[in-house]
Amino acid sequence: MPGALERYQLPPEDKERLEELRELSKRAEEGDEEARRELKRAVRESSPAVIARASDVSRRAQHMLIETAAGGSELTHYALSARLDVMRGEIAGDDPTPLEVLLTEQVVSCWLWITLLDALNSGQFWRGAEKAIRVGPSYLRQMVKIQESAHRRFISSIQALARVRKLQAKTPGIQFNTQINLR
Amino acid sequence: MALENRDGNLYYYRSVRRGDEVRKVYVGSGDLALIAYEQDVMSRAAEEHRRQEERHELEQLEALLAPVLEIGGAAEILARAHLIAGGFRRHKGEWRRARSA
Repeated sequence: MPGALERYQLPPEDKERLEELRELSKRAEEGDEEARRELKRAVRESSPAVIARASDVSRRAQHMLIETAAGGSELTHYALSARLDVMRGEIAGDDPTPLEVLLTEQVVSCWLWITLLDALNSGQFWRGAEKAIRVGPSYLRQMVKIQESAHRRFISSIQALARVRKLQAKTPGIQFNTQINLR
Repeated sequence: MALENRDGNLYYYRSVRRGDEVRKVYVGSGDLALIAYEQDVMSRAAEEHRRQEERHELEQLEALLAPVLEIGGAAEILARAHLIAGGFRRHKGEWRRARSA
């Protein structure tokens, strides 16, 4: 379903901006002063829109994960959505910057990802599960691999948010005029 | 697995792997050979079907998780760009304020 998945992907122009930011960051880190100046301009001018759209795509992707995890149960759907709202509020805190909002969305998405995988995997280890519905060892191995990757990403998303917060606190913030509503 | 016809008689053998070694194990002859052979063919088909379903399920799961990975990558690039533009640099894996900033 490539058409349906477009709603869950960044538009090509944002991917180009990201590539530009990645390249400029690399050159600036290597000591290229011109690249650093260019990066400052790019961060000021193009990153707020990319951040806003990435946050938006992230929320839509979470919705898709919630639908899958709920498996048609309205109660589970409601409970998971409410849980994510609480998490967003707790993690983002008061008056988060747009970048903090995006990083918060990433933490929440990874948590949801882990929850979904835990639910899918735990059924396989339940003693009462019929032999017929159990899956093969290669499938389980693959699932465990995905689960490990989800855990790694969850930890690194928390680290990224903490790092940005810690370092931003030491520097005068960059002013953005982008509003993202958390609730 | 092999169903062999020798002098009008059917003989059925299964291939059994033990480590690197594959051994041919005699199962039976005549009607028993035919029954065992058909049973094995059906089991293999069922196993292949199950594997196909698992592959399909994994593909669906990966498609579902792809946006999380994509946004994760984007968030990483944006966070790094903000920190470098804000005058920080990485030193042995640790972020520090650059002297020139």
